Amino acid sequence: MHYKWKTGMWAFVMHRVTGLALTVYLIMHINVVSSLHDPGSFNKTMAFLGQPLFRVLELGLLAAVIYHGLNGVRVFLIDFCNRTKNHAAIFWILAATGSVIFIVGAYPLLHHAGIF
Amino acid sequence: MDRGIGSGGAFAWFFQRISGVFLLVALLAHFWVLHYVSGGDVTFQIVAQRLATPIWKTIDLAFLVLAIIHGFNGFIMVIHDYIHNHNLRLVLVSFIWIAGIVLGLLGTITIISFQAPAGGGL
Repeated sequence: MHYKWKTGMWAFVMHRVTGLALTVYLIMHINVVSSLHDPGSFNKTMAFLGQPLFRVLELGLLAAVIYHGLNGVRVFLIDFCNRTKNHAAIFWILAATGSVIFIVGAYPLLHHAGIF
Repeated sequence: MDRGIGSGGAFAWFFQRISGVFLLVALLAHFWVLHYVSGGDVTFQIVAQRLATPIWKTIDLAFLVLAIIHGFNGFIMVIHDYIHNHNLRLVLVSFIWIAGIVLGLLGTITIISFQAPAGGGL
């Protein structure tokens, strides 16, 4: 198979990888939240997930969500707003936007966990 | 061309885009409400205040159902692109459907059956 590994191809593959990862996260998330029927067990679970290890993993979640959401906007623009010829430029504009959003989200996340 | 079992085709494609727009807005609100408004701590007391109200049950149910369909529909689209063996595809797609329904039921029960504890000092 001969794929051209240019911007659009990377964007497509990363969209799928982050999408699958987010679905796996959704499965775990719904399982954790289902402990709400027992206040004690919910608070215990949340305290456990508040450890620095999970905070760092949440940075990965944050990055995946931002990527998938913003690239989803790009896909929408390409498919419904006739922006195919600008797709690469849109990718880099959204990449810059996403990087800023990541920093804005990551700082309070780590700060709140006492990491810095 | 055999697209095989359970392929939503154009509808699956269209649904991902429409639900994606809703999920983007809902997820922003979800992050904002859970991690900024209440100061960052997610405790039973804070969650219960919202989840005990019908309006939040409705919002969370719509969010839950669309997120599961979007995620599992995406999973099925990936399976259709890479798994060409008909039987294996049938097994995987069936498994995704069952997992999606079970997860949807678990989430729905969690949301609908939730009651703030009586006199819990919420």
